[in-house]
Formats: sequence, C-alpha cells, structure tokens
Amino acid sequence: MSDRDPVGRRSFLGFLGLAGLSLAGGSRRGVSDLLPFLKGPDDPEVPNEIVQKIMGERFGSREIKRGHVTLDMPPLAEDGRVVPVAIESDLPMTPDSYVKAVYLIVDHNPDPLVTVFHLTPAFERVKIETRIKMKRTCWIRAIVETSNDELWADYMKVETTLNGCG
Amino acid sequence: MAETGKAKIVIPDRIQQGDAIRVQTIVQHPMDTGFFRDANADLIPPWFINDVRVLYGDTEIARFEWTSGISKDPVVTFMLRADREAPLTFVWRDNKDREYRSAIDIKFGT
Repeated sequence: MSDRDPVGRRSFLGFLGLAGLSLAGGSRRGVSDLLPFLKGPDDPEVPNEIVQKIMGERFGSREIKRGHVTLDMPPLAEDGRVVPVAIESDLPMTPDSYVKAVYLIVDHNPDPLVTVFHLTPAFERVKIETRIKMKRTCWIRAIVETSNDELWADYMKVETTLNGCG
Repeated sequence: MAETGKAKIVIPDRIQQGDAIRVQTIVQHPMDTGFFRDANADLIPPWFINDVRVLYGDTEIARFEWTSGISKDPVVTFMLRADREAPLTFVWRDNKDREYRSAIDIKFGT
C-alpha cells in the first residue's frame, strides 16, 4: 500500500473528471454520479445524528477545510470485515506545529468514529495504515487536527457488499 | 483464543540516528463487535481493544482510541523519527481491562 501513489491516481482521476466535464458540458455532480468513487464537488452531507454528535463533540463549530490530508482506500471493498485504510498528510511534525490527532469516521457504521490517533512530533510524518470494518457502502471521513486547532479533511466513498460489523 | 494478545512489532534491520523508520505492528485479538452470533445463534459479546499507548523510552508518543470497527487482529503502521536509542513499547488494553504489551529495542549502527 505504501508503494502506491494516491496523489498520482487522484490527479489522474481528476483529469478524467475534467475531461468528462468538457466533453459532456454537464455539471460536476453528473460526472461524480457516473464515477461514484470520485469525490463529489462538495463535502459529503452529515448523514445522521450520531455523526453530527461526534463532529460537534470533537470539532465544535471549527471549520473543516479540504486539503493537506489524503485518504486512500479501495473504491470497492469486497469484504467489509477487512478494509485497508491509509491516511497521509503533508503537514509538518515539528514541536512548534504538528498534527495532534487523526480522526477516521465511517458514516454508516454502528460506531462511526472508528478510531482516533493522538500523535506527537515523535512521528516523522503522518502516514498511518490500518484495517477497518464497514457495515455498508458509505462516505469515509479522514480529519486531521493540528496543534493550532486547525482541521483538514479528505473524503472518500467506499462501496462494500459484505457487512463487516454484524 | 490462547493466542490473544500475541503481538509482533517490525522495524527496519538497520537504523541510523535521525532516520524516519516504518513501524509495523500486529496484535492478535478477536475485536468482536457484539452484533454477530455464534453457531447456537447466541450473540457473541463485544470484546475489543479500545486503548493503545505507544512509548518511546519512557515518553508516551502516541495514544490510539480504537473501537470494534478496527479489524480482527489489528494492524497499524506509522513513521517514527528514530532520534535516540530506546525501547519502543506498545500497550494494548481491551474493554475487559486486559492489557497486552510488546516492545522492541531501537538501536543504531549496522
């Protein structure tokens, strides 16, 4: 997983999306409907009260901006019991400025806040890999929190068929 | 189940001071969600690791909040700045308050 280049892949898919736009002259929403694994033009809607509550408790009213973090997952996860996740960030890890937490939210899991990684500058950079369970197809949110309390996010919709949560 | 808590930590063979090293860990644990049933149709009670602490020497360098949404036999991989020779210790604790511990020495040189 570490040897893959998610940025390169994303850029390429983004290029495909743009090409589709110019050819069809349609809206970006139209393009993302055709290619459901592409990120939508806007941030995904908060899907339910549980996710709303988690985000309220953890982030308050702080703005969550896109950027500085890359969530890499298979667009189609055959087995919801074991879905690989890689979260990377280009944010610095120095004593003055670092990523203090990485949140992973799976919108339609029974317990959507699957994990929080609390970090320190002992980490050389944010490049964390693990494996998670998914109940069904939904949006995944990777949100990083800096030592200055800024929030950066990346989102991905992952399709799954086999329920991994029970 | 006898193997629950058996863990492995993998770091590079050769480390120079200041290197960014890839740390890989796996710990054996069922990570039961509490929603699945056994062969007798009885619910298997939730049993999962919910707290992970990473110590470099005596310093806690990370703490992970986990739920049963982490896959069975959890793995985690990250990049550590190897700036001193010290043991790297993982302490996994589950919702039954059982604690599992594993450590590896970070040493410099060939």
